[in-house]
Amino acid sequence: MRNLRILPIALLIAPVALSAQERLATRTGHISFLSETPMENIVGDNHKVTSVFDATTGAIEFAVLIKAFEFEKALMQEHFNENYMESNTFPKASFKGKVTGVGEDELKKEGTYLISAQGDLTIHGVARPVTIKGTFMVDAAGAVKATSDFTVNAEDHGIKIPGVVRDKIAKEIKVSVKLDYAKM
Amino acid sequence: MNKRTIFLLIVLLAAIGGGFAWKEYHRTTAKADELPVKETVNAQDLMTAFITDEDAATARFVGTTEQVVQVTGTISAIDPAGKLTNIVLGTDNDLAGVVCEFAAADVPADWRSGASVTIKGICTGMLIDVVLVRCTAVE
Repeated sequence: MRNLRILPIALLIAPVALSAQERLATRTGHISFLSETPMENIVGDNHKVTSVFDATTGAIEFAVLIKAFEFEKALMQEHFNENYMESNTFPKASFKGKVTGVGEDELKKEGTYLISAQGDLTIHGVARPVTIKGTFMVDAAGAVKATSDFTVNAEDHGIKIPGVVRDKIAKEIKVSVKLDYAKM
Repeated sequence: MNKRTIFLLIVLLAAIGGGFAWKEYHRTTAKADELPVKETVNAQDLMTAFITDEDAATARFVGTTEQVVQVTGTISAIDPAGKLTNIVLGTDNDLAGVVCEFAAADVPADWRSGASVTIKGICTGMLIDVVLVRCTAVE
């Protein structure tokens, strides 16, 4: 798990010679997920997503602490951490990949850009290759916001859902990401 | 004990059990000031612990179940974020600090950058920063 910390820090402390690269970062991104079933809806929110985007190379990474997800009910949070995500063993989730559709030139002008991020999504210690669609928005002041909505199948990442509660957990979990980047 | 009494006892036990189950199901997560403090540390030492040995620091400050860490430090940044506010406690690492997430209404009005403060929060680990959530101010 240590290398999940190293990459963003490596990008942050890269030599001055690389300062010409356009790098954006956030430490307070937002990820929420929704499990929607007729039995129960479960929403988890995490406002401490760390992400770094290198507009020169297209490299992107985001990482999140599982225990920083918050729920309406304490029992949901406890079951999420102890029974499903096993967060004592797998404390973090991450995505590492490459973005196409936006680069240094696009970030210099106001606009909305459709992007595709291809890479590995690691949840519960299991990495799966994914392609995530999203949007980068650059406003008149040059602020950059990235958003994406995608779905995750918990069982693809080795998360076991007991038969007793199978009807309470959606097969496809809806994930929503919102990142307000700042230039590094 | 006659059948009517037994029946009433069963109904009473079922009601008590049902009430407990309902209360437990609807229990909300506690803020940091509603739980006992497990560790007291300053921001620099907390950061150093995670950088030196993340696994050991996670075991000590995050624990296997939620636990409260009381941390002292100097505010290096106050970042409003909608209904939340992030209070960043500075460390000797310019790139990283201890980020304490508050409900915006819970941040004392007189807190400013440079102020020395004490905060209780649930430690969730470290990405670039050490992250505490559901924080409250210690006056």
